[in-house]
Amino acid sequence: MNYPVWIVPYLGGGWIIGIIAIIHVYLSHFAVGGGAFLAITEGLAYKRKDDRIYEYLKSHSRFFMILTSVSGAVTGVAIWWAIALVNPDGTAILIQNFTLAWALEYLFFAAELATVFVYYYSWDKVSKEMHLFLARLYCFLSIMTLVIINGILTFMLTPGLWIKTHYWLDGFLNPTYFPSLIMRLLIMFAIAGMYAMVTSSRLKDEDLRTYMAKYCAKWLLPIFLLGPLVAYWYIANVPQATMSTIFTGIQSSGVGNFSILARTLYLSLILSGTIVLFAYFGPYLNPKGFTFRIAILFLACGLGATGSTEYMRELLRKPYVVYNYVYSNGIRKEDVPRLSQEGFLTAGVWSKACTAQGENNEQRGEVMFRYQCMSCHTPTGYRSMKKLLGERDEDAIYGFLTMLRETNPEKNQYLGIMPPLTGKDDELKDLAKYLSTINKANVNLTFKPN
Amino acid sequence: MTSGTEKASGKKKDSLLQWLDERLGLEAAFKFAQKKQVPIHKNSVWYYAGGIALMLMVIQFASGILLMVYYVPGLEAAHASILRINSQVDFGWFFRSIHSWGANLLIAVLAGHLFSAYFMKAYRKPREFTWYSGLILLVICLGFGFTGYLLPWDDVSFFATKIGLDIASKMPVVGEAAASMLRGGHNIGQGTLSRFFMIHVAVLPLLCLGLMALHLLFVQMHGMSEPGYFKKLEAAKRTYEKFFPNFFLKDLLVWLLALNGLAALVTLYPWGLGPEADPFGAAPIGIKPEWYFLAPFQFLKLVPPHIGPIEGELFGALLMVVACSGMVIVPFFDKGESAGKAKIATYYGLVLLLGIIAFTIWGALS
Repeated sequence: MNYPVWIVPYLGGGWIIGIIAIIHVYLSHFAVGGGAFLAITEGLAYKRKDDRIYEYLKSHSRFFMILTSVSGAVTGVAIWWAIALVNPDGTAILIQNFTLAWALEYLFFAAELATVFVYYYSWDKVSKEMHLFLARLYCFLSIMTLVIINGILTFMLTPGLWIKTHYWLDGFLNPTYFPSLIMRLLIMFAIAGMYAMVTSSRLKDEDLRTYMAKYCAKWLLPIFLLGPLVAYWYIANVPQATMSTIFTGIQSSGVGNFSILARTLYLSLILSGTIVLFAYFGPYLNPKGFTFRIAILFLACGLGATGSTEYMRELLRKPYVVYNYVYSNGIRKEDVPRLSQEGFLTAGVWSKACTAQGENNEQRGEVMFRYQCMSCHTPTGYRSMKKLLGERDEDAIYGFLTMLRETNPEKNQYLGIMPPLTGKDDELKDLAKYLSTINKANVNLTFKPN
Repeated sequence: MTSGTEKASGKKKDSLLQWLDERLGLEAAFKFAQKKQVPIHKNSVWYYAGGIALMLMVIQFASGILLMVYYVPGLEAAHASILRINSQVDFGWFFRSIHSWGANLLIAVLAGHLFSAYFMKAYRKPREFTWYSGLILLVICLGFGFTGYLLPWDDVSFFATKIGLDIASKMPVVGEAAASMLRGGHNIGQGTLSRFFMIHVAVLPLLCLGLMALHLLFVQMHGMSEPGYFKKLEAAKRTYEKFFPNFFLKDLLVWLLALNGLAALVTLYPWGLGPEADPFGAAPIGIKPEWYFLAPFQFLKLVPPHIGPIEGELFGALLMVVACSGMVIVPFFDKGESAGKAKIATYYGLVLLLGIIAFTIWGALS
C-alpha cells in the first residue's frame, strides 16, 4: 500500500512470479547440482585417465555454462523485477531484514559466474589438476549461493525466533533451514543427473553412452534413499496449522478449493516417485534404448515435479508472505486491527494518493481491490472474482466482506487460506460496490490515477 | 561366506523358476517374447498407443471396482453415494477422478490408436480381425462412457442421457425398441439407472475383456504391422528391436509419462459433481454431451427438422452411419493391390478424422 502495484490482466501477478520462479528453480538447481556433477565426474575422468569422459564433459560444460549463466541469470533477475512489482511491501521487508545476506549471495553468484567462464574456456589450456580445482571451486561457490538463499526462502515459511527478536540470523537459521538445505541438495543432484542424461544421450560412442546413462541414473539414488527421511524432518518443523490444512484436504479434495495444498502435495509425490521409476526402467535398465527424445521427456517430467513441489512449498505459507508476520497482500499481521479501526486507504503512501484522486465510491473500491485482493485474485481471469462471487448482489457481497474482516477463525473460515480483510465499514462498502460491477459486465481495471 | 550364501540363494531362485516353468510354461513364453520384434521407423511412436490404452483399461477396471464398494445404484441414493465418495471417503475423490479422467484419456488414446493403425494400413490381410476387434473395442468404450455418465445421477448427466436416448430412438427398425429397453420404460428413472449400471459393470466389461484378449492374441499371431514404405526397404535396411526387454522397457517409460499426465489432471482438476437430477425440472441451459459425442451432436444440430418425408435427426444419424461405414468395409476395399484404392482409403480417413476434429471443436465453442 506504500508503493504502486503492477496490474497483470487475466493471469494475475502471482502467476507471473510463479512461472518465472519455476523455470529459475529448475535452472538454478541445475547450476548447483551440475557443479557437483562436473567436479565429481571430472574427478572420475582424472582418476581413470579416461579421455572419453573428458571429451564428454567438455561438450556438457558448454551446454551447462550457456544454460545456467544466461537463462539462469536472466530468470533470477526477472524474479526480482516481478516480486518487486507485484508485492512491493513484502519484498521491502525481505530486503530490509537480509541486506547482508543478499549482498553475500550476490558476491558468491558473481564469483560463481566468473568461475564457470574460466572453467569452460580453460579446457586444454591449463593442467588437468588445475582444471579439476576449478571444477571444485565452482561447485563450492554454487553451493554457497544455495546456503544463503535457502535461509531467506525458509525464513518466509518458518521465521522461528525472528518473530520475537527481529535479529536477522535468528530468521536465517530457522527451524526448516537444515532439512530444506539437504532436501534441495538431494534434488539438485537428481536434476543434474537428468540434465546430464540429455547431453550423454547425444554421444556417438555407444559404450560411453551406455556407461554415462547408467552413471547419470545413479545421481537420482540419493533422493530416492534419503528423500523420504529428510521430507519427514522438514514436515515435522512446518507450522502445525499448515499440516492441518493438508489433512483436511485428504477427504475434501473433491468438493472445494481448500484442498489445493493437499492435491499439489499428491501431485508432487506422484511425479517425484515416477521420476525415480523412470530412471530405473530407462537409463539404468535399458541404457542403450535411452534416446535423446526420451531424455527430453524425462527432463519435462522433472520440470513438472519441480513445478508442483515449488508451488506446494509456496502454498504452505498461505496466507502469508512471511509466516505469522506479513500477509500475502503485504499487510503486517500486527497492523490489521489498526487498519480496520482507522481505515485502510489513508494508511499507506500510495493508496492514500490513489484514494485522493478517486472520483466516486466505485473507484475507491477499486483501490481497495488492488491493494487487498489482487495479489491472489483477478476480476475475470485467474481466481476470478466474477466466478467466485457468483450471483451475489452488492448487499450480499458487503455481508461476505464483513465476514472476511473477522479475525476470529470461528467466524471467518477463510482465515487459513486468505488474509483477513481490513478497512472501515465505508471502505468495505466501496469495495462491495466495485465488486458488484464485475458481475454486470466484462470489467477491466480502468481507474488510472496520475 | 558371502559366496556360499549367494550360491544358496541362486539355487533357490533356479528351483523356484523350474517349479513355475513346469506348471506355467514360462520358458516358452519368455522365448516367444524374446523372438517378437518391433520395427523401427519414423512412425514407430504410434506403437506405444496400444500399450497406453491397455494400461488405462487396467486402471479403469481397478478404479471402477473400488468405486463399486461405495456406489449405490438407486434413484434416491446414487447422487448421495457419489457425494459421499467425493467428500467423506478417504481418497474417494481421487479414485473417482482417476476413473472419470481415465475414461476420457482412454477414448482419446483409442481414437489415436485407431487412426494411426488406419493410416499405417494395419487393416490389410492378415490383420482384418485385429482391425475389427479394435473397432468394436472403441465402440464398447464409447458405450462405457455413455452408460457411466448417467450413474452419478446429476442434472447434466440426466438430461444428456435423455437427449442421447431420444436420438437413438429415431433410428429405423430397432431404434425405439432399443431405446425403450435401455430406458426401462417411457421415461428415464430407476429402470434406466439399474440397466445402465448393469451394462456398465457387467455386460460391457465381459465383452471388453473377451475382445481385448482376442485383440492381443491377433497382435501376437501376426506381429506388429509395418507401413508400406518400411516393407519396401531392402532387408538390410529394415531395423527391428526386440520386444522384450528393449521395447517393453521403453513402453514402461511411456506408461509412466501417461500416468503423470493422468495424475496432473486428477489432482489439479478433480472431477466435480453437479446438483442432483430433477426429472421434472428444466434442462440446464447450453447442455452438451461429453467431448467424444460432441461431433455427432454438433452435426445433428445442423440438420433441419425435416428433409422431405424423413425426420431430420433420423436423416442425420443415417448419414453419420454411412460416413463411418468406410471404417468397416476398408479391409475389403483396400487390400494393398491397387495404389489408387490405397489413396482413396487414405483420403477418406483424413476427411473423416478432420471432420470429427472440426465438429468437436465447433461443438465445444458453440
